[in-house]
Amino acid sequence: MSIAPDTFAFVADLVARRSAIRLEPGKEYLVESRLAPIARERQVSLDEYVRRLRAGAPDDELAGVVEAMTTNETSWFRDVAPFAALTPHVLPLLRAAGATDRVRVWSAACSTGQEPYSIVMALADAPLPVEVVATDLNEQVLARAREGQYSQLEVNRGLPAAVLVRHFERVGAHWRVRADLRGRVQFRRHNLMDAAPPGPFDLVFLRNVLIYFDLPTKRAVLDRVARVLRPGGFVVLGAAETTLGVHDGFERVEAGGAVLHRPLTAPRPPVSAVPSVPAPVVRVPMPRGLPPASPPHLTALRPFSAPARPAPARPLPQSRGVS
Amino acid sequence: MSAITSADVSAIVDDVFASMVDRQEGTVAPWPGGVPLDGHDVVAWVDVRGPWRGRASLETSVDVAASLARALLRLPEHAPVTDDDLTDALGELANVVGGNVKALLPEQGTLGLPQVAAALPDDPAAHPVQRLPLDWRGRSLVLTVWAADDRHGGAAGAADPPGQEDR
Amino acid sequence: MRALVVDDSRTMRRIVGATLNDLGFETQEAENGAAALALLEAGLEVDLACIDWNMPVMDGLELVTRLRATREWRAITLMMVTTESEQEKIVRALAAGAHEYLLKPFAPEALRDKLDLLGMLPQPAGGAA
Repeated sequence: MSIAPDTFAFVADLVARRSAIRLEPGKEYLVESRLAPIARERQVSLDEYVRRLRAGAPDDELAGVVEAMTTNETSWFRDVAPFAALTPHVLPLLRAAGATDRVRVWSAACSTGQEPYSIVMALADAPLPVEVVATDLNEQVLARAREGQYSQLEVNRGLPAAVLVRHFERVGAHWRVRADLRGRVQFRRHNLMDAAPPGPFDLVFLRNVLIYFDLPTKRAVLDRVARVLRPGGFVVLGAAETTLGVHDGFERVEAGGAVLHRPLTAPRPPVSAVPSVPAPVVRVPMPRGLPPASPPHLTALRPFSAPARPAPARPLPQSRGVS
Repeated sequence: MSAITSADVSAIVDDVFASMVDRQEGTVAPWPGGVPLDGHDVVAWVDVRGPWRGRASLETSVDVAASLARALLRLPEHAPVTDDDLTDALGELANVVGGNVKALLPEQGTLGLPQVAAALPDDPAAHPVQRLPLDWRGRSLVLTVWAADDRHGGAAGAADPPGQEDR
Repeated sequence: MRALVVDDSRTMRRIVGATLNDLGFETQEAENGAAALALLEAGLEVDLACIDWNMPVMDGLELVTRLRATREWRAITLMMVTTESEQEKIVRALAAGAHEYLLKPFAPEALRDKLDLLGMLPQPAGGAA
């Protein structure tokens, strides 16, 4: 299959505008391989799918296309909101639902480890210890993930500088996640077609993976995930993903700007049981002799609230907690 | 200077080319042994001062330097490139490589401003500690890290007997 | 959104500027800290400054310190863009008031990621999920 030149041009332009990633000529094969599954699901050719996008598509549809094209761009804290919301907004919900001694997270399709380590870093100041099981099909990427060592280009991708200096150390030209954080993640080879790793889990990160499966398979994977979630636990999908139209056994919950999905069959805690927890302050430990940090204290992963700036462009919805 | 390994310097070069020059991986590799290097007539360098004193230099031909400038500035293949553009681009590459080499050192140093000339000024007091002849799209460049011979203190230099080269 | 790109290398100013332009920023350039201050004193208003460390006349750390100490410029978001990648250097810059720190060499996507962390990316109409 080869795509029409203006199909490629449209996609390249869309991706460049929204992600600063440039698809140069020669990358047509990438557009084909990443977008063909989406077109297939809509039962049209890729050229037809893109023609429809150009004729007018809702913004989240366009966002989905950009996600599919950039999904291998492994970055830290991808999309920010799900991670920034973890300690201040998601954790209280989990605790109200019964997580009392620790938080267990499954990071599925973890690749070279940025996601599970981001989860641990986001929960570094949480009042409960966190354990992460991180799985992938590919043994090579798992080996890299266990090492926790990344090139300077890799640590430049989405890591707040304050988080870099706190949780990493330099090793030659590379940066390595510090041992105490590495110790909180267990990496394992796993195929999403098989039964899930032993739970229960409070959170399952299943981001930008379902896009590659057909509808029955997506449902089956979500079923397996639901089975290992603790009541009140959540699935975290990719920023442009939803269970809507895929699996009707989940409800969408918003918490501090993050969109989560929760299995419907789980009993929900009463509204009054949700405590409000003030956002913890993440401080960078300063070496002795340096002046204290003069900018405002870091909060979660928006380290520096822009000084004297009007309301952020992305207004954070009130935490709905239990609907 | 054992902290400056060839693996680390290669990693730095790979990162620079993959992110700034070509915005894709795999465009730079070691120059094949035994093949003569193209006529190199321009070199850019930065000096490092501190407990460790040295220099990182990048030498190549003016044509290649012009191609590098076009790649960095995302200009088409035969777009005109002024001498200033070429000098600035090659100097900035030396600056980025040199700055990252400096960060490999156990003790902090300061980086000088980049300089560009037809040839490196003669410095009998400096010896090469890493020399990487490179193949960029079939063209040659040589990255060299030099150390000053008079090593006073400093983490790595002090232990080495004079005249010994680290590789 | 407007940005000031401060770097003594014209090549780097153009690279940073081009990526910022792609992401919807209007950009101005200055070749060192003193030139940047001169532009601001003359009335230039910006939301973001991308600042190199090693520059003649006035270096980036000094510029960051001055901007954070001056009431009318405190609101500018400051991102250092530099080869200085020792842990202590990064800590020093953050302690002086830089909001973010981008290591050179960097890919355009990395600059975009940092802007996303700072909440400075233009949002699509209707808001993101």
